[in-house]
This record gives sequence, structure tokens and C-alpha cells, in this order.
Amino acid sequence: MDTTRLEISRLFHRFGFGPRPGEFAVALKQGVDATRARLLLQVPPAHDVGLSMVADPVLADLGNFPQPGTTARATFDTAMKAQRQMLILWWLDRMALAENALTERMTWFWHGHWATSIGKVEYSLPMYLQNQTLRANALGDFGIQSRTMIVDGALQYWLDGGANTVTAPNENLAREFMELFTLGVGNYLQIDVQSVARGLTGYRVNRSNGNVTFIAKNHDSSTLTILGSPGAYSATQISDLIVARDDCAQFIADRIWFRFISSDIPRPYSKPINEAFARRNILETVRAVATSGAMSDPQYSLVKSPVEWFIGLCRAMAITPSKLAKPDRVIDLLNKLGQIPFAPPNVGGWPAGEAWLTAASAQYRLQLAQYLLSNADTSAIKSLPSSSRVRAVGDLLGVASWSFRTERALRDVVTDPARLLLLAASSPEYIVSA
Amino acid sequence: MDTLSRRNFLKLSGAAAVAAAAPMLTMEAIAQAATMRPLPLGTPILIVVTLYGGNDGLNTVVPYKDPIYYQSRPDISYSQTDLLPLDSELALNGSMTGIKSLWDQNKVAICRGVGYPDPDLSHFTSMAIWQSASPDHHVNSGWLGRWLDTQARDPMLAISLGSVLPPLLAGKTVAGSALPLGGIVVPTGSLAVDCQRISATSRQDSKLMASAATSLRNLFDLSSTITPILKEPIPQPLDLPTANGGVAGGNSDLQQQLDVVAKLVAAGSPTRVWSVSLGGFDTHANEKGAQSILLGNVSSSVARFMSQMRATNREKDVVILVYSEFGRRVKANASQGTDHGTSGPVFVIGDRIKGGFYGDQPSLKNLIGGDQAVTTDFRDIYASLLEGVLTSPSDAVLGNWAGKTDFLAKV
Repeated sequence: MDTTRLEISRLFHRFGFGPRPGEFAVALKQGVDATRARLLLQVPPAHDVGLSMVADPVLADLGNFPQPGTTARATFDTAMKAQRQMLILWWLDRMALAENALTERMTWFWHGHWATSIGKVEYSLPMYLQNQTLRANALGDFGIQSRTMIVDGALQYWLDGGANTVTAPNENLAREFMELFTLGVGNYLQIDVQSVARGLTGYRVNRSNGNVTFIAKNHDSSTLTILGSPGAYSATQISDLIVARDDCAQFIADRIWFRFISSDIPRPYSKPINEAFARRNILETVRAVATSGAMSDPQYSLVKSPVEWFIGLCRAMAITPSKLAKPDRVIDLLNKLGQIPFAPPNVGGWPAGEAWLTAASAQYRLQLAQYLLSNADTSAIKSLPSSSRVRAVGDLLGVASWSFRTERALRDVVTDPARLLLLAASSPEYIVSA
Repeated sequence: MDTLSRRNFLKLSGAAAVAAAAPMLTMEAIAQAATMRPLPLGTPILIVVTLYGGNDGLNTVVPYKDPIYYQSRPDISYSQTDLLPLDSELALNGSMTGIKSLWDQNKVAICRGVGYPDPDLSHFTSMAIWQSASPDHHVNSGWLGRWLDTQARDPMLAISLGSVLPPLLAGKTVAGSALPLGGIVVPTGSLAVDCQRISATSRQDSKLMASAATSLRNLFDLSSTITPILKEPIPQPLDLPTANGGVAGGNSDLQQQLDVVAKLVAAGSPTRVWSVSLGGFDTHANEKGAQSILLGNVSSSVARFMSQMRATNREKDVVILVYSEFGRRVKANASQGTDHGTSGPVFVIGDRIKGGFYGDQPSLKNLIGGDQAVTTDFRDIYASLLEGVLTSPSDAVLGNWAGKTDFLAKV
């Protein structure tokens, strides 16, 4: 196994949604360290030409649901649907077009972490605002991210925060905050869930625009004991207390490991990773993960989720999702594959690993690749002599290496570049990040 | 509609063999073998219905004479007139008329207070415990996946509806198959040949790449047997209204999943285990209406399925298990909902079942931290299903688990 090629392939696919045309070949010349430094820049470029081509969506506050059966309601429903599609395509475009996709990749990670679904929130505006919050805090201080998210409108609505009052608290947000967002299961007791729920009382959410207001009289300001510490708590203080726990450092580092290195081999002890997150610094932690020896160890392979696989193919083929003739079809197929941005299946986020490898998903992946490649520009491959096309497709897609099986199958179809790309994109070597 | 007979099934299989006979389809032999050995009549079949989110057991099987029930949740309790009494103490949620009617026919076992030691209130941990059947330590395999490990390999043996496989069906060495609701469309012509080639086994594959290759190969196995069957009409229920469009509220996803299962069971698909699911039970707020719609959905879908089975010759073969990862807190919260709790009722339904209650009803007087006690370990139910329905020793799946729940009638 060519470990340089393996590590560069992993850097592209895991931290940047895959290479754009030409990038992989250049990276091979520059080597692993230079590629890592470029993909995980300390300060991402302020002006990203790719991103500058994606206009932010204009999402009006649509207000309350009009009465069913009225014309106002019909107009409203149409607007809701249009906003939702605009929002999804906007983010897919950003992922596909960003020159440096680390920020989008990390926003995607955090979206799956603080998994909030438009299925319940319904309005696009609060989902968009949450997404911008995650983006602004994607690589910074986790403590600040957590403080912001605990009072995020979409998250509050999603986990019944508005229904949590001093007279009888609702534990939904409190429990998931500790279990899934900060500490991990088993690192708190039921009494802590109850105390945190009481400490988080008093917030009210305007569902259509995500505005959160604090109503002091609904807040429980009595002395609470959270994780052994007594006091009267605000949401910020609760977040700070919990994020400061060692368990939080372990848990978040484990989650990053799970999504970027391996969803079935647990994280071994690693001093650089621990030290980086000891400071709650997300970028340093991600860099420590990307620098770990696991990156060149073949056992740490990872299944690309449907969106990651789809975006990788868009980047390689220079496709802008919203500019496709039938973006509805793309969203439909992503839905059948089980993954649409803004619609995780539950608060635990999307599954990982073999869950994405069913006969059903194989079928939809093929259909999606067929649709994308039927409209794609294959002239770059066509211009090459047949003998170098298999290697060129490997570089275009950023594949670590072809098995003899796949290489033989690809070699037999080199005269038909669209078919060559379809097979390469559907191969085990591309569906899995080696 | 006529019952799909063995002969009809073989006719369908013939069609399948033709569809699969594209040039160089090396899977043809396997696919054909699967279609040529329909499940023998009389072979028991398990249908697992997972209710995601933590169903409120106390508002499902309601202790309608207990004043503590009404004191604990004044806004979301049901009065007797809104319920379907089962005996002098317990009643079903009023939306569950379908299951009530099966209960009246002695086909419903209600296991009470089901859970496991030291209940975990996390959805994910608790569901992982139920699906892996391992409360003590984390394991990566599901209980029915481990059963699959003990069987001869066959992608048709255990099938989950939907495109993502639940952990339930993932074994240590073998996994069940996932079938999307719309069925599977098999690639044809040169694309089929290409797909076969890139999904052939390779010693250079990592474990995950090998799984990716297998999933593509299984597409051919599954599709050649299942696709023609899905084109057949659904077996008509004998005693339920069959007007197009169904009852008010429209088709639910669970009903669609069970309709597909009904078709395939009727056709003799060599499948011993089916997995379907319904989400939405995490009723922290405004529980009453939402839960009653969901329970009505479960009840009518199950009743419809049983009725469809009566229209086939498999009615005595199917056993349905309905469970959720936990029950909910006895006391309501302020948002007319309930927070996560512990034990809850489990339903086991079928002609092979001796109807009635099993296990003690957990007391509302002696709560543990506001939650109901666990009186029945869910592994008792699994062990009984493994031995009585899947006719397999439970040791390989559950280790040395001695407990059983005696709800299976001698056939």
C-alpha cells in the first residue's frame, strides 16, 4: 500500500469533501505535510472564490401558520417548501464549491453533532441561523460554541426548551445536552438532568424566526446542584460548568475521532489530541487528529456518508448542485439514501459505517451517480490516451488505490469515459475512504 | 384475491429468472436458488415492530382504576370511558381498537413491566441495549444478527424495511438485508455486468470495502427475487374496509412497511425475520393527541396485517413483537408530556400466542426515583421467541439466559 497516497486521499476526503480537478495530482507532488498544512490552514482564506459564487439565501420570516384550507395557507405552504429547497441547495453548493472546504466540513460535523431537524422545526429561517452559528464557531472555542447553541432557537424548539418552565421542567434539552452534546452517556446522573432542566427554564422561542427571549419569571433561580456544584445557574453558567469537565474533553475528542478516523475502532490514548482539546480549541484538535499516526494506518477506513460521497463526486466533476437540471431528483435520492442536510433522523445524528452499506443504498447510489454523470463534462478524461485513463480517474476522484478487481473492470471500459467514471464512483474503493 | 400459492410463486420466480438472466450474471444461480425454495408452509415467521422514541406504556396499557395514575398526570390521563378495558384493572388506549379485537380473540400477549436491570434513560443507550440484548456491556451485534450468524448464509433470511439497516439485524459475521419501500430496481444490461465486476470479492478489500462490495452484489440477489413480487397487488384484508386511500388520516409509513411484508410473506419469501418501525414516540410535549395517533397507527396496521395474513395460508405462521426502548415518567411534566422512564408493556401477537397478561403490573405506589419498576426482563421474551418462533437454541444469541415467558401455544 502506498501510504503517501493513502494519507493524502484521507486528508482530502475526510477533512475537505474530496479533491477538485487537478488538486490530488498536485498534492502527491507536494507531499503529505504540505497537503495537510494547506487543507487544515490555521486561518482559512478570507476570500474563497468558490464560496463567493454561492449567494446566501434570502429567507423571509413567514410568521404563523395560516388556517388550513385558506389561500393564505396555500401560499404559505409553497413558500415554506421553496425556502426549504433553497436552504438545502445553498449548503450543498457551499460544500461542493468551497476551495478550502474545512469550514464546511466542520459545520457538517457539528450539524450532525447538535443534530436538529427541520422535520420538527419546519421553518427554514431558524435552521439557517443555527447553521450560520455552527459555521462561525466550527473551528473556534468549543465553550463558546456550546454557550451559543444552548440558547439557539432551532435547538431550543427541537428539544422543547420553550415548554420547560419553573412549575414543572421538561428534561428533553437538559438530558440531550449532557448525553449527546457535551459529556456522553454515563457521565452524569438523573438528578443532574433534573437540575439542568430547572436551570434552563425561562426561555421562549419564536418558532418562525428562531428568536429566543428570556423571561425571568419563568426561570428557576433557586439553588441547584449540578454535577456536585451548588449554585444558582444561568444557561451560560450551566454550559460553562459542563464544558469544563474532563468528561467533555474526552467525549468531544471521541466524537471527532468517530467521524474522521474510525466509527468502529475506539480512539487510543493520544497526548496531542487530549492536549488540544484540553484547551477546548477545535481547530487544534482537528489538526491533531489529522496528524495522528492513524491517518496512514490502513485499518482506519471509514464509510463515506451519502452526502459526503455525493459532494465528493460533485467536487471532482465541478458540478454545482443547484445548477443541475433536476435538483429535486438529487434531494429525492439523498432522501432515499437516508441523508438530507438539515434533516437528521433523530437527535443522535446520522448513523455511521456499515449502516450505509445496504443493497438498498447501493441501488440509490448508482442512480444518483448515473444522474450526475449523465450531465457531467468528461472532456478532461476524453483528452487523455486510453492507457492513462484509469490512473487519471483515480487521481480525479482522489482514490488511494484500485484493487486488481476494480482496475480490470475499469480498464475494459476506458473507451467510454462516462461509464468509466460511473463505475469508479460506484466502486468499493470510492464509497469507502480507504 | 386468490391466495398466492406455491405454484404462483414459482411462476413469479420464473419471471425473476428471466429478468436476472442478463449476460454474465454470475449471481443468477444464487438468486434462482432463493426463489426455488420458498419458505415451507408452517414455518414460523417473526415480525419485529420497533417503536422509536420511548412509548408511554402507562397511557398504552392504562391502570384505569388506580387513583395514583390520575393524580400523577391530571392533564394527560384517560378516563375509563375513553379506554378499552381488558380486565378490572387495565385498559388499552382508546385508539387501539384493532389490537383490542385481536385481544378478544386471545391472540395478544401483553408482557407487563418489561425492561432490564438498572434502566438507562438515554434513547440511544437503551435502544442499543434492546437491540443488542446486552444490558451489561456494549456489543456491536444485534440479537437477531447473532441468530443470523448461526444460520446458513442467505440475504433473504432477515429483511428490514427501509434503506438503513437497524443494529438489530447486524450479526458478528452476517447482516440482514434492507429493503426500501419502493422495492429494488436492478441495473440491467451492460451496467449490470459492470456492477457485478466491481463488486466481485477481492482479497485487497478492507472490511468496509468488502461490505460495500457485498451490498452491491446483494442488490442482484434481492432484486431478482423480490422485484417481481412487489409488482403483485397487496393481499386484500378479509374483514377490513379496503376503499382506496384508506381511512381518514391517510396511509402511514408503518402500514406501507407491513403491506410490503404481507406481500412477501404471502408469496413465500424465504424470510424468517422482518423488521419494521415507527418513530415519534418521544412525547415530551403535548403527548395525548400525538401518542394516540401513533398507537392507533400501530394498532390498525397490525390488525390489517393479521387480516391480510388470514387471506393467505400463512396466518398461523406469523408472530409480531411490538416494543419500545423504554416507558415514560409516571408524573407528567408541565408541557402536557412525559420525560424518559423505565419499564413498559411489550406486545406479542399471533395465532400461535396464548392471549393474556404476563409478568406483574408495576405498582404506582412504589416507584423508583419516580419511575416504574422492571418486573419482566426483555430477554425472557427474546428467549421464548428464539426457541418458539425461530426454533433455535437461545444460548448462541443470549448466552446462558434461563428465563422464558410462556406466551406461545403448543402448535
